[in-house]
Amino acid sequence: MPRYGMVIDLSRCMGCRACMEACKIENNTPQAIFWMYVFRFEEGEFPNVRQWFMPRPCMHCDNAPCVKVCPVGARYKREDGLVATDWERCIGCRYCEVACPYGVNYFNWKRPDRNYYLDWNDPDLKPITGGMVPPYRNPDLDRPYGEERRRIAGGGHIKGVIEKCTFCVHRVEQGKPPACVANCPVQALLFGDLDDPDSVVSRVLRQKPHFRLLEELGTEPRVFYVGGKPPGPETRQIEPVRARM
Amino acid sequence: MRLTRRRFLKGSAAAGGLFLAGRLFSSGLEMLEAASQEPASPLIEEWVPTTCWIGKQDCGILARRINGRVVKLEGHPAHPRNRGTLCPKGMAQIIALYDPNRVKAPLIRTNEKGIHGRWRQASWEEALRLVAAKIREVYDRDPSLILWQKGRSKGEAFYDEAFVKVLKATKLGHGAFCSDAGYRACEYTLGLSSVLHPDFRYTRYLLAWGWNLTNAGGNKLCWITWPQQFLAARERGMKVVLIDPRLRGGGPFVDEWLPIRPGTDLAMALAFCHVLLEAHHVDTDYLKRYTNAPFLVKEDGFFLRIDGKEQIWDLVTNRPQPYDAPGVDPALEGVYEVEGQRVRPAFQVFKEHVAPCTPEWAAEICGIPAEQIRRIALELGENAMIGSTIRVDGLDLPYRPVSVMAYHMAQQELGFQAIRAILMVFMLLGAVGAVGGPMVDFTWKIHPNFEKLDQIRIQDPPYNFYLKDSPFFPINSASPAVMAKVMQNPEKYQVEKVPEIAIVHMTNPVIAYGSQPDIMEAYKRFKFVVVISPWLSETADLFADVVLPAATLEKYEGPYSIADGQVDGVALRLPVMEPLFQSRGEIESYMDLCEHLGLLYGEGGYLDELNKALKLKAPYLLPLDRKPSVREIFDRWAKSQGIEEGIAYFEKHGVRVKGPIPVKSRYGYAVEPPFGGIRHRFYGESLLRYREEMKARGVDELYWRDYTPLPTWRPPTMESSPPEYRFYLISYKMIEFKQSRSSFIPLLAELAPRQRLDIHPRTARELGIADGEEVWVESHHALTGETRRVRVRVHYTEGIRPDMVGLPHGYGLWTHPWAQGQGPAASALFFTGEGYVGCTADQSFHVKVRIYKA
Repeated sequence: MPRYGMVIDLSRCMGCRACMEACKIENNTPQAIFWMYVFRFEEGEFPNVRQWFMPRPCMHCDNAPCVKVCPVGARYKREDGLVATDWERCIGCRYCEVACPYGVNYFNWKRPDRNYYLDWNDPDLKPITGGMVPPYRNPDLDRPYGEERRRIAGGGHIKGVIEKCTFCVHRVEQGKPPACVANCPVQALLFGDLDDPDSVVSRVLRQKPHFRLLEELGTEPRVFYVGGKPPGPETRQIEPVRARM
Repeated sequence: MRLTRRRFLKGSAAAGGLFLAGRLFSSGLEMLEAASQEPASPLIEEWVPTTCWIGKQDCGILARRINGRVVKLEGHPAHPRNRGTLCPKGMAQIIALYDPNRVKAPLIRTNEKGIHGRWRQASWEEALRLVAAKIREVYDRDPSLILWQKGRSKGEAFYDEAFVKVLKATKLGHGAFCSDAGYRACEYTLGLSSVLHPDFRYTRYLLAWGWNLTNAGGNKLCWITWPQQFLAARERGMKVVLIDPRLRGGGPFVDEWLPIRPGTDLAMALAFCHVLLEAHHVDTDYLKRYTNAPFLVKEDGFFLRIDGKEQIWDLVTNRPQPYDAPGVDPALEGVYEVEGQRVRPAFQVFKEHVAPCTPEWAAEICGIPAEQIRRIALELGENAMIGSTIRVDGLDLPYRPVSVMAYHMAQQELGFQAIRAILMVFMLLGAVGAVGGPMVDFTWKIHPNFEKLDQIRIQDPPYNFYLKDSPFFPINSASPAVMAKVMQNPEKYQVEKVPEIAIVHMTNPVIAYGSQPDIMEAYKRFKFVVVISPWLSETADLFADVVLPAATLEKYEGPYSIADGQVDGVALRLPVMEPLFQSRGEIESYMDLCEHLGLLYGEGGYLDELNKALKLKAPYLLPLDRKPSVREIFDRWAKSQGIEEGIAYFEKHGVRVKGPIPVKSRYGYAVEPPFGGIRHRFYGESLLRYREEMKARGVDELYWRDYTPLPTWRPPTMESSPPEYRFYLISYKMIEFKQSRSSFIPLLAELAPRQRLDIHPRTARELGIADGEEVWVESHHALTGETRRVRVRVHYTEGIRPDMVGLPHGYGLWTHPWAQGQGPAASALFFTGEGYVGCTADQSFHVKVRIYKA
């Protein structure tokens, strides 16, 4: 059984946020929800300034605080390393959101059909899209996944339910990398089996110094960063996404 | 910022506060069945090859289609320009395909122009009949008064060539707001079309001169390709020096940042030249053989000619000789006397010209320490490895691994001469056309403008509406903003006829072009405006008489080059589905319009012009008596190209890779004869000739002052604004937007929902302005005293000079629900015309502003 993880090369990331968009289209996430988020950072004072970029997906922690606090077992750790959310079982208590130190959980406050950017009930559009919301709705997300056959892909996007990055479980089970990784224009995102010494992620981690975010909390994230350092007290966020709800 | 739990790493915040009131356990929990809308029948999955509709490099796409519905766009893995990936715009454009805010049917205006439009839907037949009647009336009288205004052409053979030609219309593009000053400088100086980019496989030292590399493409390509090649070069150890008033474009990829004062690039380039000459980092062999640097210049600035031939001073015979006499060794330096006249080689003239341009002199102008300017120049000189060669594909070629990416920075008042000055730097180093040096086009093909721009004949009045061949802008980038100025005051420019009809193709001039008020004044004066666009653009809203709905990705278009600088090939856009609503592809619309005009069939008709423009060959020529389908045209084109399967090849593969661009056509030194047999115009004698004629024709100094044979520094016009306008304003591009059509994409508007004024925190605090606070930005026209102002929120950043502010493009739209309320367009603050266009009629995006609390 492979045990997946991600490696993010900060020395390559251009901060373009194409991964955020690839995630949004692949997983059909509603407005103002970003399972993948790219920070744009700045440090120092003019003219000795450094600007850099840091993608932040779910860390898929081995010791995931969100799993521990879920009262109904909707949030669980899979054998292949993925931290999954069973959106059929989630009761929307948001304990996971509170427990997670990385801020990767998003709660669906609205009915998604009222939170998908545009009004897709347009009568001229319906004959073309069959009333699909959003019209680029990905059918792979509806199916159950894993030996458990649970609904963990795509997040469901149901009012009152929490959602987060799934590492694109529906793609991973087909042998494809997550959408963000597949699309990164500069190959700053890598994905693979951390238990396989020959995988690209294992090779990069052997070659380059790396860190994980908030490692001191003991969460054991499965997302590793190379080619940079973690944000520190001197780091300021620039150009944050202030999305409309 | 403290890296505390939760709040920090959340990153994104919802504008209205993340934690809205809501019940923990929602009673409105939907039934799961409702979420699974897909029919139970098996899904039919297809992948349709197509190309991106947003930018200029036409990235290859594979559209994933489920039961005929496109669900995702992915990068085409075989396309050399994007290699299986897409930028955020390419990825997000899927939502535009389905946008119910698209123009669904042809629209005819029912109210007056200049205010928000009211419309009635019409049939294609009715709309085209109306458009054709209006065009026909002007066509019969004077077709040059029909303006075909494009933003971007996604099928040049169909639009720019066949349609414009058959209509005998006047064509204007967006180049004068983009990079055309740089095009003109490179065409004039080197004979190559485009601006400047590195040879990423070999460049080891790069000047990223105004290169917004994390947000914008640069020369020739719009983004992905350059970042990929850039990172590969960087991992091989290429050093990067960013010369830019803002750091943001360089991101973390900058070894050294020179935050230059806006509009002073020319001075810095001259200082680089000064240091290179002083340190003898000069490739004399290149200058003697391949440039006019040894040509003897008389005291009046013109070349010494004997029997009509330019002369050099031959060091072998110690007398003047024709420059191309065999066996000569031309002098580059010294003062000589020929027939009682004092003459100097052009190189000597240049040496004296830049003698005062010390790093200390430039430091004052550019706001960069002299020692830093000197050190960078010396590093350039040392890294150029003058005299070295390298073997590439079996050819021994000069190796000068120093280069520059310079593109949009050309749009400044001194832009043409600033790019000329940058070229001088690399000519001194002998890096032009060498391996690792600056590249212009992807192949070393001499552009007709090399001769044309040298042989311009200034005509007597009247002039046409963009002042072609006039004494105002002899070298002329055909600017729609200059047209706007002319339309408001034709007498001033000795123009008798102004355009009457505008066909607006894939562009939104009201938002996207410099000097919004002038563009609006011009569009008010058109008698008839037809806008072809998927959306009701702002230009359509205010000024269109008719709007024709264009398809986005659901149409055939092309053909497109897939060249990435190293590999060549071709691709087509194929429709990912049937055109939505009543929209149509532009090719179809133009064919139908030509039919209504009576200009489709027969010799000289649109189909005939298409045969020529697409270079169709028998037996695949289009018959001239029948309207083909667009698919059929592309099928004939493909077969004419020797692709037996015709369009089916593209329907299957999407992309046709021809193979590597051969070294022999890539490097100036490798082509036969070297550099295409021309001599680079180190010294621009014809510029002096134009200057003299402009003076003689009595035009004001401000038109002719930059027509100098060597790039000459002067403070830009904006510097004479009063001191209270203490800040420089520049504009720039964000990765989220490209041209105004990406502003209609809600997913992108979500990423960057609000206009912002970049300002240094120290500057802002001095003015008592907090981060995120609203201010007025007021620009000042240094010649007329006119002011313009917009209201915008400030954004603190340390990565900007404290004496300036920056405002991105992509905002100020109002017709789309997602564009409303985002804040103003940058183009609302810039001026155009004298003082704010360069000597080639190219728009400057620099102005002095003051800032005060709103």
